[in-house]
Amino acid sequence: MSMLEIKNLHVTVGGKEILKGLTLRVAAGEVHAIMGPNGSGKSTLSYALAGREDYQITQGGISYRSANLAAMSPEERAAKGVFLAMQYPVEIPGVTTLNFLKTALNAQRRARGESELDAMSVLKLVRQKAGTLQVSEEMLKRALNVGFSGGEKKRLEILQMAVFEPVLAILDETDSGLDIDALKLVADGVNALRAPHRAMLVITHYQRLLDYIVPDRVHVLAGGRIVAEGGKELAHELEAKGYAHFAKEPA
Amino acid sequence: MNAAAIETRRSEALDNFHTRGMPHRRFEHWRYSDLRAILDAGQVAQSGTAKWQVESVPDGVELFDLAAPAEQAPEWVVRYLGTVGNRPTMKEASLAFADGGVALRVTRGRKSAAPMRLQISSTGNVRLLLVLEDDASLTLMETHASDAGLLRNVGVEIVLGSGASLSHVRLAPSAPKSITVEHIGVTEARGACYRAHFANFGSRLSRTELHILLQDVGAEAHLSGVMVLGGEGHADVTSHIEHVSGGTRSTQLFKKVAGGKSRAVYQGKITVREGANGSDSWQTAKALLVGDRAEADLKPELIIFADDVKCAHGAAVGDLDPESLFYLRSRGIPEREARRLLVRAFLEEAVEPIEDGGLRAAVWREVEEALSRAMVIVR
Repeated sequence: MSMLEIKNLHVTVGGKEILKGLTLRVAAGEVHAIMGPNGSGKSTLSYALAGREDYQITQGGISYRSANLAAMSPEERAAKGVFLAMQYPVEIPGVTTLNFLKTALNAQRRARGESELDAMSVLKLVRQKAGTLQVSEEMLKRALNVGFSGGEKKRLEILQMAVFEPVLAILDETDSGLDIDALKLVADGVNALRAPHRAMLVITHYQRLLDYIVPDRVHVLAGGRIVAEGGKELAHELEAKGYAHFAKEPA
Repeated sequence: MNAAAIETRRSEALDNFHTRGMPHRRFEHWRYSDLRAILDAGQVAQSGTAKWQVESVPDGVELFDLAAPAEQAPEWVVRYLGTVGNRPTMKEASLAFADGGVALRVTRGRKSAAPMRLQISSTGNVRLLLVLEDDASLTLMETHASDAGLLRNVGVEIVLGSGASLSHVRLAPSAPKSITVEHIGVTEARGACYRAHFANFGSRLSRTELHILLQDVGAEAHLSGVMVLGGEGHADVTSHIEHVSGGTRSTQLFKKVAGGKSRAVYQGKITVREGANGSDSWQTAKALLVGDRAEADLKPELIIFADDVKCAHGAAVGDLDPESLFYLRSRGIPEREARRLLVRAFLEEAVEPIEDGGLRAAVWREVEEALSRAMVIVR
């Protein structure tokens, strides 16, 4: 049994069907890439997995560690180890980044029946992870994402991933808006989290990120369905031939 | 001038009150707070005198108890009592019917760093006069007990001399059965600065009205405030800032959270008088409705008789941003807690201007308690 099993998933947003029968399996320890052109349904898939309310599942289902993921609230999913690194992290004035990390981590721990960590333990944990991602003390003291550059926001998403230690991590276009140095930094952060008990779904438009986060499997998403699957070499083929070539072929 | 002047102003005030009668919703600036519908003139006249208390009087601050016979009043009390700002009906009532109150003077150049605490309690009319002489400064924490009875009607007068600076924080906890009215008149000389924060947590009817005169170059007024209302709470902050002279500046930032069946009101009028060129003002009021039957009425108003001025205003009523809510929930923060976090974040900007950390913390404590009431029903 795979960790994540998506079967014939249909998702409607605002009355419009975006995912039209998507099927995907991801096993523990694997990194899968989902590639696709704009409008193919990549972000819809990530939001459906994280549980956004306005993303309605009309057919099919998502099973995560043998449980029905679709029936869970976003916070339940987080507590059970699902993490989505968002393409556009939101800015929350008035809540410091460090305080946010503590609140979220402890909420997850509480939901799992674990003891809460005090401020000092959280600070220690965050500091230990923040260094390699070049997230400064100053950033931790600022309001969450407020006035952060695109690169800083993405680094903070990866820091959250490192702190929460999810079981299933979904990265939605984490590479968008990053220069090559920032991209390498983020990729190093992601690679450091690869583990036998953890699965990752890396969603991207471009092959570039996959030079640094090398996937076990690559899936091509077009028109709300997976239209091609293969090993890491598929990403290079896409780069050479473009999406148009794949979009025509059924999977 | 002598003590008889005070008596003359009192009898004028009594006449004015009886001639004009109770304010009601047909007056444009009482539209959202219909006082006459729940209170008559006789009740105002017979409500007695509210109590005041100060913890300690800092060095350089003089205190005169207005319950003392007028003949004993010092010159500065005689000069100012009943003269500052305009003379609206309910303020006239507080002058006519209050058998007491407190007058404070900070003498020239005295700077009082630690906040001075003034507590107002019980029911009735009461007067407050605050005179800061040239270059004096004071931080005043005005707290209200929630035992307001039927009516508490406070008339405040503030005189700021040249270069004087007053930080004023008014904290009015929830008093759901009471009617609380306060009128604050402020006059500011050259280079004076009035910073004020109004934290209102709702009454049966709560009206805080300001009339500020920026009389001379460099005078500034910076107002901020929060309201957190639940149940059938009501709170109305109505301000009128007059840029009498050019080179004056005013800012206003008010944030409101309305839950249950509550009503949050902000009316902000700016007048830039003829010739007051180079005046600069902005005002923003935002309300968050967290109850299906809550209401917010936000009304900025500009009256400009000068050419070279900067006047910006904005008002917005809305709900919590769904994107932000989803973001927090996707990090494991339960919906209820996530909503609280976002409401706090919304208010933050309007609490931040309170300079004194202790006073800021006191306002936050009250906000937290009020949020529990305002957000009882989470969808």
